[in-house]
Amino acid sequence: MGFQLPVAGSEVALAWFRRYYENAEFDIPSIEQREFGIGNRKKIDSRHLNFSGTAEFRSYLVSNTPLFVSFSTGYYRYPGATPMQKKAWMGADLVFDLDIHAEGKYGAYALLGKVKADAIRLMDMLKDDFGISGKDIHVNFSGNRGYHIHVRDRSYLGIGSDERKEIVDYIMGIGLDYRAFFEPDAKRPNDRMERGPRPDECGYRGRFSRAVIAELVNNPKSISRVFAKDDTRKRLIDGIKAGNWNSQPFKVNDFISRLAPIAAKLGLSSVNTDAGVTQDLSKLIRVPESLHGDTGLIAKKVSDIDKFDPFRDAMIKLPGARESLKVKFVEDVPELPLGGELVGPFKKDEQKEFEKPIALFYVLKGSAEIKE
Amino acid sequence: MEDLDFAVRYPFSSQAKAALDSSATQLNESIMFMGSERIKRGLKGESGKSAALHESDKINEIASFAAARMLLAFLNNRFITNKFAVAESKRVSSYLDSERDGATIAKVGQELGFVSEKEGDSYLVPIPIYLSFSPRALPYKLINREVRNGRVVVSPHERVRLMEEAVRKRLERVPLLKDPPKIISDAGKKLVSELPKSDLPQVQVKPGDYPPCIIKLLDSVKKHENLNHQARWFLCVYLMATGMNDEEIIGLYSNLPDFSERITTYQVQHARKKAYTAPACATITTWGFCCADCRIGSPIYWRGKGSGGRG
Ligand code: SF4
Repeated sequence: MGFQLPVAGSEVALAWFRRYYENAEFDIPSIEQREFGIGNRKKIDSRHLNFSGTAEFRSYLVSNTPLFVSFSTGYYRYPGATPMQKKAWMGADLVFDLDIHAEGKYGAYALLGKVKADAIRLMDMLKDDFGISGKDIHVNFSGNRGYHIHVRDRSYLGIGSDERKEIVDYIMGIGLDYRAFFEPDAKRPNDRMERGPRPDECGYRGRFSRAVIAELVNNPKSISRVFAKDDTRKRLIDGIKAGNWNSQPFKVNDFISRLAPIAAKLGLSSVNTDAGVTQDLSKLIRVPESLHGDTGLIAKKVSDIDKFDPFRDAMIKLPGARESLKVKFVEDVPELPLGGELVGPFKKDEQKEFEKPIALFYVLKGSAEIKE
Repeated sequence: MEDLDFAVRYPFSSQAKAALDSSATQLNESIMFMGSERIKRGLKGESGKSAALHESDKINEIASFAAARMLLAFLNNRFITNKFAVAESKRVSSYLDSERDGATIAKVGQELGFVSEKEGDSYLVPIPIYLSFSPRALPYKLINREVRNGRVVVSPHERVRLMEEAVRKRLERVPLLKDPPKIISDAGKKLVSELPKSDLPQVQVKPGDYPPCIIKLLDSVKKHENLNHQARWFLCVYLMATGMNDEEIIGLYSNLPDFSERITTYQVQHARKKAYTAPACATITTWGFCCADCRIGSPIYWRGKGSGGRG
């Protein structure tokens, strides 16, 4: 958002946003207990707004259409009160912001698949390890480079910032001491292990055990050349399944050390911790189904993440979306999969006509100007 | 009778409150005196078990806890409150350790909002409760625990440790006391006048420019919050590297509610002798104390605001 939109661009975009908001489908639980913030120059220029219900919220967006609108993960008795202490915090959703940073304005889009894979893994962890039911896990596209996951399980709403940080560490694999998964044999601690993690165990123990087996199957040499031999490898895998890690020729410490790279990859790397989204109990985050002012894409709710394609499913589909708009590029733009097909690349000064959502995408990205 | 023993051991419980109510005990000077003594013992880090034999002694002992809590509310001094909380929670913990009857422990748990379920020789604790009450130490870090469908597996001893933490946290909060009765304010003033000055530390940190993780730890010290072993060690090594001497560091650590001069002196001198270097940001992140992205590799390279920033 370092740039200012040329006036014509922002007027067209905001008129378009307004039309979208007239019929957008919001579903914000306990909307009257949330604080809202809106932004035009920055993502949040002003906050402490609150609304009694969806109708009031919608009419605000239609008459004061902003480029960005966010709401609090927290629930308050007095969401509009200032300063923060007067709001009377009552709890907060457990929220994760998954995204990825990459070189250049468009670099991250090529990596959206990885973020999606992490989002799927995160949902599995929330269900399997944290015992959270699928109906309390809500996923939406962020509108730009990632996904937001909102957890609304009652038992987690009241926990504090430190506790949330522990959960982030858990998910990212920070502080994992995988060596402690192995119990050395009391009599011959250097040569034998009494017990090690089994693949059917829960949490990181099982996750680690399964990852080692997968590595043995897919890339055994990364652990040691000896596992390239079928029967050696098979003996170890069969042992691991029963918690016996001794069917290999190495000293205990040496063998465990060889597994370090596998342990290091168990956590999720795309959880965004810079902005403290998960820890901050009074964080504002994009409203699901609202628009992202840097792209014009919808922060679309995702019901089937496997099939979700942001550049197809998060594009505005209003009657006027087919109308075309002429733009002139002000910088080079790489090829992108927009609206279900590959578009571009384009050169600076090139002029093109696109359907409105795509034209506005380039304009809001600051890569093109509207040509009258 | 049994209820009364329970109330003596766990004076924060609703049983204790009921016992006091039904005995119609009035606040009097001798109870205020016992309350003050209880706070003083807390300041010295003493947490002995009860010696009360007779019913009236037991009632008085329960009342002394209530009196101490009111005094703490009147004093509104975080350091004294937290010291008291540490001592009392250790006392509770030693009772829990000797408790034979599972039902009693469960009852204490209920009072504290702590639930667990027995499974073989272990207990299963729901994650949100586990996180609220687990000590911030590496072996308790969630990621290194056996986690099963929303619950953490803990040993009987660990369960008691979690409950101790729950007591400490509960006692660190004191109610606000508006217009205290004279008997409390008198006893409160007297208590303060009796405390040796050295029992009430003042935070002394040389003003300086510190990286965010250090600022956060220093803030915790100022608020007399507990720091775990790694946090203490890291802060100590860092401050040494920036030129603080042993006395200054020990003086700073006397703000911690479970401060022991003997142990701290030993640890500080030990760190000095070993000439440890401060850990790298990556390590600090693993321990969970990093709170920014300074991109300097080690907090030692922090050079004022100009050096940091998030790129
Ligand atoms: S980046 Fe390093 S110096 Fe900065 S807060 Fe984190 S640990 Fe401290």
